[in-house]
Amino acid sequence: MSIEWYLVLAALLFAIGAGGILVRRNPVVILLCLELMLSAGALAILSFSRMLGDGDGQVFVLIVLVVAACEVVVGLGLVVAMFRRRIPLDVDETTELRG
Amino acid sequence: MTFQPPEIDYWALSPVIALVFGLALTVVLAVAGRLARIAPAAAILSMVVAGGLLIGQWGESKDVIGGTLELDGLSITFSLLILLAGIVAVLFSLGDPAAREAGRPDFLALLLGSVLGMVLLTQANNLVTFFIALELFSIPLYALCGTDLRREDSLESGLKYLIIGSLGSATLLFGMAFVYGASGATGFEQIADGLSSSDLLGDPIILTGVGLVTVGLAFKVSLAPFHQWTPDVYQGAPTAVTAFMAVATKLAGFAVFARFFLTALEPLADEWDVILAAIAAISIVVGNLGAISQDSLKRMLGYSGIAQAGYMVGGIVVASTEGVEALSFYLAAYLALNLGTFAVLVVREQRDGSDDSIESLRGIGRRDRALAWPITIGMLGLIGLPPTVGFLGKLYLITALVDGGWTWLGILIVLGSMASLAYYLRVVGTVWSGETESPGHAPGPSSRLLGLIVGVGIVFAVLSIGFGILPDPLYDFAAQAGEAIGSLPG
Amino acid sequence: MTTASWAWLVLLFPLLGSMVIAFGFRRLPDRTAGIIGSTAIGLAFIAGIGTLLGLLSEPSESRHVASSLWEYAGVGDLRVDLGIFVDPLAVFMVLVVTGVSFLIHVYSTAYMESDQGYSRFFSYLNFFVFSMLLLVLAGNFVLLIIGWAFVGFASYALISFWYRRTTATAAGMKAFVINVVGDIGLVLAAILIFRELGVLDYEAVFDAAPKVFSTDQWTVVAICLLLLVGAFAKSAQLPFHTWLADAMEGPTPVSSLIHAATMVTAGVYLVARTWPLFELAPAAANVAAIVGVVTLLVAGTIALVVTDLKRIIAYSTMSQIGYMFLAVGIGAYSAGMFHLMTHAFFKALLFMAAGSIIAVMANDQNIDRMRGLGKALPFTAAMLVIGSLALSGFPFTSGWFSKDEILDFALYRGGWYTILAIAGYVGAFMTALYAFRIVFRILPGRPCPEAEELIETGHVAHGEAVNPANGQPEDYEVGYPGKEHHIAEQSPGMRFGMLPLGVLALIAGFLQVPGVTEVVTKFLEPTFEGSSLAAIHPPVSKAWLGLLNGGVIAVVGIAFAWVFWVRRPAIPGSLRQKFHPLYELFVHKWYFDELIHAVIVRPVLAFGDFCNRVVEPFVVGGIVTGTTSLVRSAGALVRDLQSGMIRAYASLMVVGAIAVVLFLLLRGG
Repeated sequence: MSIEWYLVLAALLFAIGAGGILVRRNPVVILLCLELMLSAGALAILSFSRMLGDGDGQVFVLIVLVVAACEVVVGLGLVVAMFRRRIPLDVDETTELRG
Repeated sequence: MTFQPPEIDYWALSPVIALVFGLALTVVLAVAGRLARIAPAAAILSMVVAGGLLIGQWGESKDVIGGTLELDGLSITFSLLILLAGIVAVLFSLGDPAAREAGRPDFLALLLGSVLGMVLLTQANNLVTFFIALELFSIPLYALCGTDLRREDSLESGLKYLIIGSLGSATLLFGMAFVYGASGATGFEQIADGLSSSDLLGDPIILTGVGLVTVGLAFKVSLAPFHQWTPDVYQGAPTAVTAFMAVATKLAGFAVFARFFLTALEPLADEWDVILAAIAAISIVVGNLGAISQDSLKRMLGYSGIAQAGYMVGGIVVASTEGVEALSFYLAAYLALNLGTFAVLVVREQRDGSDDSIESLRGIGRRDRALAWPITIGMLGLIGLPPTVGFLGKLYLITALVDGGWTWLGILIVLGSMASLAYYLRVVGTVWSGETESPGHAPGPSSRLLGLIVGVGIVFAVLSIGFGILPDPLYDFAAQAGEAIGSLPG
Repeated sequence: MTTASWAWLVLLFPLLGSMVIAFGFRRLPDRTAGIIGSTAIGLAFIAGIGTLLGLLSEPSESRHVASSLWEYAGVGDLRVDLGIFVDPLAVFMVLVVTGVSFLIHVYSTAYMESDQGYSRFFSYLNFFVFSMLLLVLAGNFVLLIIGWAFVGFASYALISFWYRRTTATAAGMKAFVINVVGDIGLVLAAILIFRELGVLDYEAVFDAAPKVFSTDQWTVVAICLLLLVGAFAKSAQLPFHTWLADAMEGPTPVSSLIHAATMVTAGVYLVARTWPLFELAPAAANVAAIVGVVTLLVAGTIALVVTDLKRIIAYSTMSQIGYMFLAVGIGAYSAGMFHLMTHAFFKALLFMAAGSIIAVMANDQNIDRMRGLGKALPFTAAMLVIGSLALSGFPFTSGWFSKDEILDFALYRGGWYTILAIAGYVGAFMTALYAFRIVFRILPGRPCPEAEELIETGHVAHGEAVNPANGQPEDYEVGYPGKEHHIAEQSPGMRFGMLPLGVLALIAGFLQVPGVTEVVTKFLEPTFEGSSLAAIHPPVSKAWLGLLNGGVIAVVGIAFAWVFWVRRPAIPGSLRQKFHPLYELFVHKWYFDELIHAVIVRPVLAFGDFCNRVVEPFVVGGIVTGTTSLVRSAGALVRDLQSGMIRAYASLMVVGAIAVVLFLLLRGG
C-alpha cells in the first residue's frame, strides 16, 4: 500500500490543528489542537517507518505520544491556575504583555 | 530476533546521571518537610558534579548510547556553559519570593529538569533524542515561567510560551518526520549518508522537512519572524527564570542547530544557507528596532536577544569550523554579559524592591557602584564595544562571515550593532545620571546572599573585560566546539 | 661618522632645541631659551659642515647619499620611507639656512629680549629651521610635502606671534590660506607623479621620468605647473604673492629669516631640485621664468612708491626671488642658487638694520617721518648701506656677481629670452632706485625728533602703544616687543648677528668670479649632471660684458636716486602728480588684494554663509533627523505588531513557516 494517503492525512490533520490554534480562543481547545498537530507528526513518522521498513520510526512515535501527554499536563495545569485566579479563559484577553 | 542492548558508555553518560540524581533528589525533597532546605545545595551540587565529570572528559569524542548521543567538544563546551547558567539561576532564585511560594524544591526540580534536557540536547545525535531533549528542556520552562503567582503576567507568559512553544515543537516534529522519510534514518550521520547517496536535491519532501525543522528551531532560539513570544515571556517570567532562559535556551538551541545542520543536513548546505541568512537578517532588523523605546529592561533584553540570535545564526550560515568557533565564543561572551546584567536586576528587585523598568536604574551610578559597573559593562559588551569580550565575539563572527563569502551579513551585523547603541546606551545613561529614588525595602533575602549575587555580577563584568583584552583562553575553549564538527571546510 | 649621520644630526638639533624649549620653558631660568635655540642652530651648522666634508670626500660622480630611517607608509603599491637625500644642492641649502639662521638667532636674543613671549619665540623659530631643513633634505615627495606644511605652519605661528594684534592674526591667516593653496598644488603634483611613475622617491622618480615622459607631454607639464603653484605660493610670486607684504606684521627677525632668506626661497629650491621634470616640460619652465620676470617688475614698481620701510624691503624680496625663478626657469641653476645665497646675506642684513631703525622710531615704520638717522645710528647706517649696495648690484658686491650672472645666462640663451633679460635689467635699475630711495631718505639730513632724542640722550624713544594701522592699543602681555626697544648700537648681540652678514654681503661674490673661481657652479655640478641646460655656459668674455652692463645700470640707478631724493627732492612729488594714475596703481599694489577679495574671498564667504543657512539645517539636519525618525517609526511598527494576542503570534509564525518552506521548494525544486 502506498503511503501517500497517510501523508496527506497527516498533513491535513496538521493543517487543521494549526488552523484551530489560529481560530479558537479557548485555551483548552488550543491544547487540543496542539495534540492534533503532534499526532499528525506521529502519523507521518509512522507512515515513513512503514515505507522504509525501519523500526526507529515506531519507537519515535511511542516517545512522541508520551511527550505530548506531558505537554498537555503542564498546559492544563496552567489553565487551571488561570481559572483559579478568575482570569477569563480567552486567549484574546491575555494581552497584558505587549508592545 | 533477540534484543540487542545498545552500547552504553557509562563514563560518558555520568554527567547526565549526576543530573538525574539531582533531579530525583529535589523531587523527593519536595515532600521531605524540613529537609527541603537543602534542596538548593543539592541542586547546585549535582550541577557542579556534572560539570566536573564533563571536564574530566575534556578533549574526548565519543559515542554515549549506541550513536544516539555524542559527547564531544561541542557538547562539553556548551554543556559547561549551560551548567554555569543553571548554577547562577539557582543563586538568583534563592531570594526570589516566587520560588519560595512555588515551593522551592519543586522550582529547583523543574530547573534541573530543564538543565538536564539542555545538556542532553547538546549531545543529541539522533532525531529521537533531539526531540526528547528538546521537550525535556522546554516543558519545565513553560511551568517555570508561570511560577510567580503574585503576578498575572507570569501566568500569561507561561501560557503564551506553552502554546507558541508547542506550536513550534509540533512543526519541528513534522519536519523531522519528512527528514526521516527522505533520508531513511534517524541518526544524524546516517541522515547525511542517506541524503548524499540518493539524488535528493530538489526533492520536495526533504526540502519541506528542512524548512519545518528550521522553523521549529528558529522559534526555540528566538529568531524572527518566530520571535514574538520572546519579549512577552521574558518580561512576564520571574527574573531568575528570565536570566536562565535568555542564555541557556540559546546555548542549547544553537548547539543542536549546529550539530543537526552541519552534520545531518550538511549535504544540503547550499539549499538552507540562504534561508538561514535571510532569517538572520530579519532578526537583526526586528530585534534592534523593537528594543528601542522599551521601558521594561527585561522586555528590552528580550528584543535584543532576538537581534543577538540573528548575529549568532551567522556562525551557522557559513557552515565552517571557523563559524562554529565564532558562534561558541560569542555565546560564551553573551552568557557573561547577560548574567552580569541580570545579577544587577536581581539584586535591585530583591533588595530594593524595584520593578524591572529602566527608569528604576536611574542614578545608581552614584549610590551603588558595585551594581552600576557590571550593568554598564554588560550593556557596552552587548553593543560590542572594545575592550569588552562582546567586541571580539562580533569580530570573530564578522570575520567568519566574510571568509565564508557572506560579507553582506557581516555588514548587517555592524549596522545592527550601531542601531543597538540607541537602547543599550540609554540604560548606561540612566544609570549614571540623575538621582536615584530612595530604595524601597523588600523583606527577605539575607544580605549575604545578596552580596554573593553582587559578587557574581562583578565576576562576570571582570571576565567580560578580561577576556576582551586577553581572549586566548576563551578562544581555545570555543575552538573545542569547532573541532567537533568534523569534516567541514575552513 | 658617515655623511648620512651628519645629515640626520642636522635635522635633529633644531628639533631637539624646539622640543626642549617647548616643554621645559617653565623650568628653565629666564633667558636660556635664546641660548638653547642659538646653540641648537649652531650645532646644526657644524653638522652641516660635517655633511659637506663627508660629501666632498666622495668622488664627484657619487656625491649623493640616500639614507632612510624606517618605512613610513606602505599601502598597496606605495612605499614611502622616512628618508633623506644628501647631495650638493641639499648641503648648499643646509649651510645657507643654518648659517644665516644662526646669526639671526643670536640677533634675536638681543632684539626680543624684553618680549614676554621670548621662549615661545625661540621654540617656534627652532621648529621653523627644523621644518626648512626637513624640506631641503627630504628624499621623497611625501617628506617634502611634510616639511613644506610644517614650514607653512611655522610661518603662520611666527607672523601672528603677537597674537593680540588683529592685524597680525589677519596676516597670519592670509599667509596660511595662500600657502595651503600652494600645498594643494604640491599634493596634486605628487599624486600625478605617483600615478604616472609609481614611485615617490627622488632618485626613482628622476630616473624613471625621462623614460616615461616625452618632452612637453601634457602630464609632465601638468605636474610641473602644479609644482609651480606650490612654489609660487611659498615664494610669494604672482599671483600668490599678496601675503608677503602683510607678513611684515611679524617681528623683524622673523621677516629677516623666513621672509627673506629661507622660507620664501623654498620654491626656488623646489624647481632646482626637480629639474629633471622641468627639463622634460620646457613649457612649464618657461612659465616659471615669465612669472619670475613679471613679478620682478611689478614688485619693483610697488617698492618705488610704498612708504612702509619693511614693506619696501618685502617687495624687494619678492622682486629678487623673481630673478631666482628666472634663473631656474631657464636652466641657470647654479646662478639661481648663488643669487639665493647672496640674497640671503644682504636681505637678512637689511631687515636687521630695519629692526634698529624701527626701534628708534618707536615702532613707526613710515619712512616719510625718518630723517637724519645716519648720525644717530652709525653702525646700522653702515649695514644699511652695505646691504643696499649689494641689493643694487653695485660693482664687486656679492649682489653684482650673482644677479648679473643670471642676466648673462638669459642673454646668452638668446631668442625670446633676450626680452626676459632686458626686463631683468630694467628691474635692476628699479632696484637700485628704490634701494637708495630708502638710504637717501632716511640717513642724511636733519635728524627727526626721535633721532634727536637718541643722539642727545642715548635714549630710545617710546611711542604710545598703539597699532599704527588701526589704532588698536597694543598688548604688552603678549609680547609686542615690550616697553624696551633694542637697537644694534646698544646691543652687542645684534651687532654680532649683523656684522658677518655685512662682510659676506660684500665679499661672497668672489666665490663665483666668472672664469676665475666658480666655486658654486663646480660644487653643484653633480646635482645637475645630465642637465642639458645647466651645461650651457656663457663664455667668460660675455660674462664680464654682462657684469659691466649690470654695474653701469646700478651706478646709474644710484645716481638717479641721489638726484631724486637728495639734490632735487621736488622731483618725486611732481612725477607723482604727472603720472598720477600710474602712481595710484603702484601704491595700491596693482590692486591685487582688491581683486582677490572680489573674485575669491567674497564668493567663498558667501558660499560658507549659504552652507550655514541652507545646507546645515536642511540637508545635514534633514538626513540625521530623517534617519532617526525612520528608525523610530520602524521601531514603533515592530512594537505594534506585538499585540499581545497569542493568535496573532501564531498566525505570523504560520505565515513565516509557509514562506520558509515555499522559498526552499521554489529555490531547490
